[in-house]
Amino acid sequence: MLGSILRTRELVKSFGGVRAVDRVSIDVRQKSLTMLIGPNGSGKTTLINLVTGVYRPDHGKIFFDGTEITGYPPHEVFRLGVARTFQIPQPFRKLTVLENLLVTQPGNPGEGFIKSLRRGRWKKFEQESVEKAFRILRLLNLDHLWDQEAEKLSGGQMKLLEVGKTLMAGAKLLIMDEPIAGVNPALAHEIFETFTRLRDEIGITLFLVEHRLDIALRYTDYVYVMATGSIIAEGGPAEVVYDPKVIEAYLGE
Amino acid sequence: MTIPEVFFIDLLTIVGLFVIISMSLNLEFGYAGVPNFGKLLAVAGGAFFVGAVPGRIMMFILSPGSGLDFVQNNIEAVMLLNQVFASDALASIIYLVFSLVGAAVAGGVLGYVASYPAIRLRGDYLAITLLAMAEILRVIADNWPEFIGGSMGVRIPDPFRWVGGETRALAVAVTILAVVAIVFVYLELVLRSPLGRALRAMRDEELSAEVYGKDVARLRTKTLMVGCAIAAVGGALYSFLTASVSARDFNRVTHTFWPWVMVIVGGAGNNVGALVGAGIFVTLRKFITFYKSYFEPFVPFDVVWLEYLLLGLALIVVLLYRPEGLVPERPTKTLRRKELLEIAERVRSEASSK
Repeated sequence: MLGSILRTRELVKSFGGVRAVDRVSIDVRQKSLTMLIGPNGSGKTTLINLVTGVYRPDHGKIFFDGTEITGYPPHEVFRLGVARTFQIPQPFRKLTVLENLLVTQPGNPGEGFIKSLRRGRWKKFEQESVEKAFRILRLLNLDHLWDQEAEKLSGGQMKLLEVGKTLMAGAKLLIMDEPIAGVNPALAHEIFETFTRLRDEIGITLFLVEHRLDIALRYTDYVYVMATGSIIAEGGPAEVVYDPKVIEAYLGE
Repeated sequence: MTIPEVFFIDLLTIVGLFVIISMSLNLEFGYAGVPNFGKLLAVAGGAFFVGAVPGRIMMFILSPGSGLDFVQNNIEAVMLLNQVFASDALASIIYLVFSLVGAAVAGGVLGYVASYPAIRLRGDYLAITLLAMAEILRVIADNWPEFIGGSMGVRIPDPFRWVGGETRALAVAVTILAVVAIVFVYLELVLRSPLGRALRAMRDEELSAEVYGKDVARLRTKTLMVGCAIAAVGGALYSFLTASVSARDFNRVTHTFWPWVMVIVGGAGNNVGALVGAGIFVTLRKFITFYKSYFEPFVPFDVVWLEYLLLGLALIVVLLYRPEGLVPERPTKTLRRKELLEIAERVRSEASSK
């Protein structure tokens, strides 16, 4: 059994008098596809904003990969390997799919006005980056589009490209807010199949917020259910959906 | 030299000067997305440096006891220096190279100054601020006689005097084209590297580039410093062509708006585009100037306006039918396509053998 990559302990965040997140403790297991569900306004997005450093918690602690990251700014959290993809994909439009990935590889030795002239010093890095990029593109089923300008991709492909960029940048945990919102069912299944491939083949952990349970649940390892700021249920997907508390939260009394 | 020869050399000279300026704008705007509407700032800055500094230094070195002030006794001072340069090729070349390097440094400093608004403002706000900065430099030079002779301007010593006579024009043209070649090769190398890709990414989606670890403020500052240094060399070369510097020779139409038209017509984000744009623009303009008097009986207005009308029309036609320019942007070639395909193939066979 692998340990958890992300842990929160007793997280609290209030806005005015409203406790948007109320003593939330979760454990996202390494190399799992974990889902966060709950009705609108239950505090899911606030919880994600706390984890990624967008908000500071009023109380409680956050750990990533054994390090406490409570109160870290977003770019620090990102550097450690927690990537949150943009809800609306923002590719580098005129760059090709391959270039979109290459540009996000950190530590490129050829990005200076003098350094760029010393081709011998960055060529090897570039070749290795290209190889890594093609591996990622293959996992995402985008490799046949490598030479295409990003602006010419479909909406679903752009979302996958966004995922690819975070992988290239060294993400270990991917947090996504509604990755299949507005995507047709066939492509939505394809996206989730890609997610499971990422989990199995390169050991990425995924933490997703999603409303379309009909599609998402069958791919999920573990589910947390939030309502009015608290976790009301957790467990495997089969047990959670029949939990009376969960049904009550969604349908009302 | 025959008249077509003179015409051709003159054309090459002017095209070369504008290629240098439009390539610098292409780096700033086409690649990095900085709308530099103050291109005049660096071009004039380079020329003003050549008018103000090297002549004074040469006077100090070559005839310290003459008591002549380079600006106040400009004609006498320049005659004195030209006598030396007429017979001394080595001194001429040192003077030329020192002046061009100095102009590049001056341009770099102006670029750094221009980056102060450029890392804080975006879009139209930045464009108008840079436009104003360029105007300020021009107005100062025009009204400060001690600097480069105010509205009268100054003559400068001629580093091509030793070549002499008719071949001088050829020597100037060759010098300018050599600089064009150096700048072109440098920019191509830079822009076919990971840096070129990072600049284009920053231009397309600045916030995203920042999230993925690009230091946007630093990249913009350096881009402006390099772009302005190149443009300043262009301004300096123009001064050596005319052997004089005057604030009145520089204006926003010629040195900001024309380069913009060249870059847009030729194709932003491609050095060859900047080259083609400058070539077409200058050639077209030369022919219009040459033949416009033939249109006298046909147009109901003064033919001097024909130039602006036709060049404006050319810009609109290109924007309507080929908005990405005559030579559109291409992907950054850090590695050869063949090499990329080989890597792709290797990854594919590895995955399928698993």
